[in-house]
Amino acid sequence: MKNSVWLLLICSIVLVLTACSGKASENDKVIIYSNADEEAITAMEQALKDEGLSGKYIIQSMGTSELGGKMIAEGNKIEADVVTMASYFIDSAQKKNNMFTDIKGSKEAIDSQPSYALPILGNMGAIFVNTEVLKQKKLDTPTSIVDLTKPEYKDLVSIPNIMDSSTGWLLIQAILHQYGEEKGKEVLHNLLANVGPHLESSGSGPIKKVQTGEVAVGFGLRAQAVNAKVEGQPIQYIDPTEGNFSLTESVAVVNKGGDKQKLAMKIAKVIADKARPALLKQYPVALYKGETVAKEHEPKHATKWETPLTVDLLEQHQAFFKSAQ
Amino acid sequence: MHSTKRAMKIAFVPLILFFILFLVAPMLMTIWQSLYTDRVFSISPYLEAFTSSEIMMAMWNSLKVSSVSALVTTGIAFFLAYSIEMTNVAKPAKKFIQFGITLPMFLPTITYGFVLIYVFGNQGLLTKLIGKPLFAIYGFNGLLVGYILYTLPAAFILIQNAFYYVDKRFLLVSDLMGDRFIRKFYHTIFRPMLGAIGGAFVLTFVLSFTDFGIPASIGGTYEVIATTLYQTMLGSIPNFQQGAVISVLMLIPAIVSVVLLGALEKLNFQQTTISTTELTMNRWRDVTFGTVASIVAIVVLGIFAIMFVAPFTVAYPFNLTFTLDFLKRFIQMDELTTVYWHSIFVALFTAIVGVVVAFTSALLSARTTVKGHRSFDFIAMMTNTIPGMVLGLSYLFLFNNSSLKGTFMIIIICNIIHFFTTPYLMAKNALQKMDSNWEVIGELLHDSWFQTVYRVIIPNVKSTILEMFSYFFINAMVTVSGIIFLVSTETLLVSAKIKELQHFNKFNDIFILSIFILATNVLIKLICEFWLYKQKKKENAK
Repeated sequence: MKNSVWLLLICSIVLVLTACSGKASENDKVIIYSNADEEAITAMEQALKDEGLSGKYIIQSMGTSELGGKMIAEGNKIEADVVTMASYFIDSAQKKNNMFTDIKGSKEAIDSQPSYALPILGNMGAIFVNTEVLKQKKLDTPTSIVDLTKPEYKDLVSIPNIMDSSTGWLLIQAILHQYGEEKGKEVLHNLLANVGPHLESSGSGPIKKVQTGEVAVGFGLRAQAVNAKVEGQPIQYIDPTEGNFSLTESVAVVNKGGDKQKLAMKIAKVIADKARPALLKQYPVALYKGETVAKEHEPKHATKWETPLTVDLLEQHQAFFKSAQ
Repeated sequence: MHSTKRAMKIAFVPLILFFILFLVAPMLMTIWQSLYTDRVFSISPYLEAFTSSEIMMAMWNSLKVSSVSALVTTGIAFFLAYSIEMTNVAKPAKKFIQFGITLPMFLPTITYGFVLIYVFGNQGLLTKLIGKPLFAIYGFNGLLVGYILYTLPAAFILIQNAFYYVDKRFLLVSDLMGDRFIRKFYHTIFRPMLGAIGGAFVLTFVLSFTDFGIPASIGGTYEVIATTLYQTMLGSIPNFQQGAVISVLMLIPAIVSVVLLGALEKLNFQQTTISTTELTMNRWRDVTFGTVASIVAIVVLGIFAIMFVAPFTVAYPFNLTFTLDFLKRFIQMDELTTVYWHSIFVALFTAIVGVVVAFTSALLSARTTVKGHRSFDFIAMMTNTIPGMVLGLSYLFLFNNSSLKGTFMIIIICNIIHFFTTPYLMAKNALQKMDSNWEVIGELLHDSWFQTVYRVIIPNVKSTILEMFSYFFINAMVTVSGIIFLVSTETLLVSAKIKELQHFNKFNDIFILSIFILATNVLIKLICEFWLYKQKKKENAK
C-alpha cells in the first residue's frame, strides 16, 4: 500500500493548509483599523481595558493614506469592523460606499455631526523647534512658515508629506490660505528645497526628528510639541502667523451586520466616550460641549478652512503639492 | 511499466494544476487588469505610464541605483571570493570573513535601512564619533549601501562556487611561463570566471531592482519603482490599473536579465576534474587580501551591531545606560509575540510544503519521461523572473474576492512560488547526478516507482532536501516584497509588522523583532548543519 505515500502526503498538506487558512471573518475579535498616533492608541486601549474589553479586539495601525485608500477601494468588504480615521475621509468613504452604520454617542458635539461617526480627537498644526540645535547652528527662532524657506534652514526642516499624512495637509492649508495658489506654490517649493530628505510619511515624523536633533525645526501636531516641552525637553512650539489649522478624527462602525457588529458598536462608543478625557488631554481641541482646554494649549492663530474638508479637496491640494515639488 | 506511468501522473497532475492556478492564472490576471478598463481593451494605460514623469523617474532611479550597486557588489564579492579561494589566508580568518558577509541574509531588508539610519544618520553612532555625517544617508546613498549589504552574500556565494571549478593547474603553468600578473590573472582566473561574474552582476541587479524593504525604510524622497508600485496600490487614491501596468513594466528588466543569464551560462567553462593543486606561497598577497577582506567583514558586522545595542539602552544615543526594559515590555506585548509566532508558522509550512513541491517537480523533471516533465524548467524560469511584489499583487487581483483573501494559506503559497527556483535547481542538480538505473533496478525488483523514490532516491539526497528546507524557511522569514499586499491583521508577519512600527518610529521594537528573526534563522541553520555533520559521521563510520 506504500504506493500512495505521495498522494497521502499531498492530500494531508492540502488538508493542513485548509485547516490553517482560518479567516478573519471567522474570528470573533473585532478588528479596529486606525490611523491614530501611538499616544491616541494608548488612550483608546486603556479605556477598552477599563471596560473589560481586553482580548476582544485587535488594533491595526496604518498610515492615513493607506487606510483611506482601503476604505475607498474596499467599502464594507474591508477587513476592519471599526475604523478610527480623519473625519473627512470617513465622510467621503460613506458618500462613495455607504459603508458605515448609524451610531449615537452620549455627548453633544460642538459642530454638527453626521449620523455614522463620532468625533474622538482634534489635531492642530504648529511649528516647533529644538532650542539646543538652534543655538548650535546659530539660527533665529522662526515665527512663520515662510521663515522656514530661508537658506540658513537648508536641510534642517522636517515636514509631513500630504501624500501620506493628514498632518501634512494642515501645513498645505496654512500656506494656501495665506498666500494663495501662485505665491503659495513658490513658498512650498522653497520650503521643500529646504526640507530635502526630511519629508516624513507619518505625522509624528517631524517631532521625532526635532526631538532627536536630526533637524532644528519641524511642522506637525502642536500638542506633541507642548508635551515635549512640558517633559523638559529643549522644545519650543510656535504658532505660525499663517494660522493653526485643525482636523478632527472620528470613529465609525463598518456595516457588516451580525453579532460582531454589536460588539464593534460597543467598542466604538467606549473609544468616543470613555477614552475622550485622555484624548482631550493629549489633543487639546474641544469637540464636545462643556469641554475646556488648558491655557498653554490655546493657539494664537486658530483658523479653519472656509469650506468643508473632503477627499476631493485633499486631492486638489495634493496636486498643488506635487506641482510645487 | 504501466503502473509506474500512472504513479508519475498522480504526482504530476496536481502539481501542474497548482502552478497553473497560482502562477500562470494570477499573472494573466495582472496583464488583463493592465489592459482592460471600463469594459474596453486599450493600451492607453501603458501610454499613460510612459508619459507619466513620476513612473518614468522612479523607473530610471531604480535602474540607476540597481546598476551602480550591482557593479560595486560584484567587485567586492569577487575580491572576497578571491581572498577565500585563491590565497592562503588563515582558516579562522576565512571563516570569520564568510560569517560576516553572509550574516545580513538572515534579516529582512527593511531592517537594513533602520540599521543604516542608526549608524550613518545625523544622530548615528558613526556620525557621533566623527562629529558630522559621513554622507547624506537618505535616498541614493542609503539605497546603494543597503543594496550592497543585501546582495553581497548572494553574489559572493555564486562567485565562490565558480572559483571551485577554476583549474588551479593553469596558474602553475602560467607561473612557469613567466607571465606577468595581469596576463596571468586574465587568462587563468578572469576569463574562466567571466560567466559567474556576469551572473553575479545580473543577479544582484535583479535583487536590488525588485527589493521593497530597503527603499521603504531609507529611500526618503528618492522614488524607486517598488515604492511607486506600493503607493499606487495602497496610497490615498488607489489606482489598481496603474498598479498592474507598473507590475508588467517591472517584469521587463527581470525578463531581460533571465535571458542574459542564459547567454552568460555559455561563457562558463565545464571542468570535468577538480584539481587540488596547492596554491603558491605568497605572504604579501595573503596579508593584504586577509586584512582587506577582514575589514569588509568587520564593517558589515559593525553596522549590524547597532541592532544589539540600541534596544538595550535607556534612550539611544543620549542615554546609553544598559536596560532590559524594552525587551521585557516586548515579551509582554501579545501582539508582537503573536506576530512572531505567525512568522514561524508561515516559514515552517512554506519550508515543508515548498520542499515537497520543489522536490517532486525536480524528480519528475530529472528522472521521469512523463509527458510535460520539461514544463517544470519553464516554471522555474518564470518564478525566477517575477518579482515578489508583482506576484503578491497578482494574487491580490485574482483572489481578492475569494475565501483565500487574508489567509495564511495564500501567504504560504505565494512564498513557495516566489522562492521555487533555487530549491528546484538544487534538487534537480542532485537528482541528475545519481545513477539513472536505480528506477530500472527498482522495477525489476517489483518495487513501485513510489517505493523506489522513497527507499532509494530520497535517502540519497537527504542533505539537499535539508538545504532546500533551510532556504525556504529563511527566505519566508525575511521576505517583505512577496507578501506585502497579502498580509491582513490576522495574518501579520514580522517583516511586515516592521513596516508598521516604522510608522511610529518604534526603533527598539523593530530591532528586537529583527533580533528574533536573526536568532531563529541562525538556529535553523545550525540545526541543519549539525544534522548534516552527524549524517556524514555516520556514513564515514560505515
